[in-house]
Amino acid sequence: MKLNPHITQGSNTVQLLMLDVLIALLPVLFVAWLAYGQLAIVIFAVASATAILTELLFSGFILHRWRSIFDGSALVTALLLSCTLSPLTPWYVVAFGAFSAIVFGKIVWGGLGKNRFNPALVGREFMSVFFSSIMLSPHIWTTGGLVHTSTDVLFPQAAERFSESYMQGLVYKTTGALGEYSLLILWLGGLYLLLRKRISWHIPLALLTVFIGLFWLVPDGDDLSFSMGGLLLGTLFMATDMPSSPTNAQGKLYYGAMIGLLAFIFILGNIRFEYMSYSILLLNGFSDRISATFRPRVWGHTIDWKQQVESIVMLTLSILAVGLAILSLYYYQLTDYLVYLFILYIIFKFNFSFHKKVNNPV
Amino acid sequence: MLLIPSLKKKTKHQDILSLPDPPLFYLPLGSYAGDMQVQVAEGQQVQMYQQLAASTGPMSAKVHAPVSGTIVGITEISGDRFLTLKNDFRYTAQQLSPPDVDGMGSAEFLAILAEAAVEGSGGARFPTHLKYNIAPGTLDTLIVNGAECEPYLSADYLLMKTACDNLMRVLQLVQRVLASRKIVFAIERQHRELEKLLLQAAKAFSLTVSVTLLPNAYPQGGELQVIKSVTGLEIAKGTIPAKHGLLVSNVGTLWAMHDAFFDGKPYTERIVTLSGNRSKTLGNYLVKIGTPVGHLLVETGNAWDSDRHSVIIGGPMMGRAAQSPLTPIHKGVGGVLLLEHTNPKAMNCIACGYCVDVCPQRLMPLEFVRHNQEGDLAQLKSYHLDDCIACGACAYACPSDVPLMYHIQSGKAKLQQERRNGQS
Repeated sequence: MKLNPHITQGSNTVQLLMLDVLIALLPVLFVAWLAYGQLAIVIFAVASATAILTELLFSGFILHRWRSIFDGSALVTALLLSCTLSPLTPWYVVAFGAFSAIVFGKIVWGGLGKNRFNPALVGREFMSVFFSSIMLSPHIWTTGGLVHTSTDVLFPQAAERFSESYMQGLVYKTTGALGEYSLLILWLGGLYLLLRKRISWHIPLALLTVFIGLFWLVPDGDDLSFSMGGLLLGTLFMATDMPSSPTNAQGKLYYGAMIGLLAFIFILGNIRFEYMSYSILLLNGFSDRISATFRPRVWGHTIDWKQQVESIVMLTLSILAVGLAILSLYYYQLTDYLVYLFILYIIFKFNFSFHKKVNNPV
Repeated sequence: MLLIPSLKKKTKHQDILSLPDPPLFYLPLGSYAGDMQVQVAEGQQVQMYQQLAASTGPMSAKVHAPVSGTIVGITEISGDRFLTLKNDFRYTAQQLSPPDVDGMGSAEFLAILAEAAVEGSGGARFPTHLKYNIAPGTLDTLIVNGAECEPYLSADYLLMKTACDNLMRVLQLVQRVLASRKIVFAIERQHRELEKLLLQAAKAFSLTVSVTLLPNAYPQGGELQVIKSVTGLEIAKGTIPAKHGLLVSNVGTLWAMHDAFFDGKPYTERIVTLSGNRSKTLGNYLVKIGTPVGHLLVETGNAWDSDRHSVIIGGPMMGRAAQSPLTPIHKGVGGVLLLEHTNPKAMNCIACGYCVDVCPQRLMPLEFVRHNQEGDLAQLKSYHLDDCIACGACAYACPSDVPLMYHIQSGKAKLQQERRNGQS
């Protein structure tokens, strides 16, 4: 017996969804190529090839799903991961990252959509832990001499006046990770995803409002340094990742705001480079609880406000507690153990629970 | 806000056509509550409009002969029972005697509705005499539901366009009997050209009606959604609108009421839209209750071809896929659609939240799937599964084709079972 409805929204499939993310990312990749030429291409190619191959093998042998290779998500994960890397990252480290992103970010959870954490960021954390000497060495971020097309080529009379150098920072600046060189292009990508309803405005708006608002409020906030490109990449492409973010609008607002708050706290606590990944991954872990806490008011029902406020306060306190715990671990350089614990946990979970539900849609 | 593209524009500007009657009618013996008892014998000659079966009790329903002919017997079609009537094409009818509507009281008003077996024509088939059973003077707003939010369907539109005088005449009667303070027509914005027409027709009957234009969204025509759009009142599922001084009645229902009061005619025919991208002809037809869908298809140049298309009885969102060409038109059917098969290959839910965004009841459909798989009834209740109106918007919007409707139905069945166990 075929159930209703008897029509579906043809323009709305997982493949098309992934295609939209790729379309939004393409200009970002182009800018990366403009900045570092072949270096960028190699990283994108290695990450993509490794991710697709890993997806094919592991999805097939572990989940017995050969079709998943066609959903396009492996490519999206690989490219997003690449966007967070330095153009000087060695190819084998990139390959390891892409492999970990697919296996530990997605497959062991039971496949696309079931992952609790953003796969690209999981891959990045694995790289930081297992290749820490490379990933955290200052010289892979020293890329000035390798620029393929310098800013001066695009803006011949730049840097003469403040407004122009500011504009140039907005359009094209060759410092940082591969996805961070053009704020304008990142905004355009985000806008495209927004218009196509692939992301909703709730997370970016709440995140940026809280984060930038705190910078204004705190005295000598100007002395704190952060990368605007990294913030935007994280906000528009990572924090908005569907499976690892809440499913309802109110939950998304809260989630975005908390990422902004945690990122700011991490910067205050002197976490370099990783503040965005940490705060997004932390909130990923609370996504389900946020969705449940912020479920919309059902038609014609009333909400018990006291209870609602209480549960929001408790939730916020737990998130802050975990945030402070991460800060302490970072201070004592013990964050690696979180990843080791995660590996143990996920293998355990996969064996005893997740693999039984591989064929359930949720 | 879910906007669903369809072929409504293709059928709304066409007239209502009639079709040759079929040789055999299959009259539904099922009703909103319980089955009807057959009151005629096999082989018996019956006249047009004769009562053939009825159920008793407050939710009573009846079925009348749409044509004259011979009773063949009872046929079972995909699990439901139907009384089969062989058409003799003579149309010998019972004498219809229109009741005296002047000075009619509410008891008589309801009796006539029950006698003519008028049912909610929007789809739910709720007995109309029960819906209108409210104390005169307690009705604040009578909402005429012409939203017809189901994609493709234009039957209600056609009635408002071509039979608005009949609608006004019956509304005048309703207002006199129930003393309703306001009458509001609720129509979708895409049909705003009706507004002038309706207001003019109302003027001719010196009736004060207003028209509220609703968004073209799905499911705007749901009772609760219409009430909110017209009055701003948000009432929870399960509360009776009459408690708030409201009554929502579908246009098709009012049309059937008109025939009952002014012609003395029982409910034996209705307007049905034939549409869908696989249909060779698109249009609106006056179809007698009990007409097999296969006959309708053949008469309109189509065929019953289950390889080529699905045949949907009702709208594309809440209708049912017919399993047999004998499946007949009942009083709640607004359309017959020929649509290409959808072969949903369920993928994993990616927690995109589209289902949450489009749910008119503001529920979280993906949670129903999760908790129904686990058989976790407490969670199904805490996510208010019973508030779901089964409109299908979530399944329509799902990019992964997760079997949402299956889990919603199965979850509801489990909750109902639990309630039954609790009572016994």
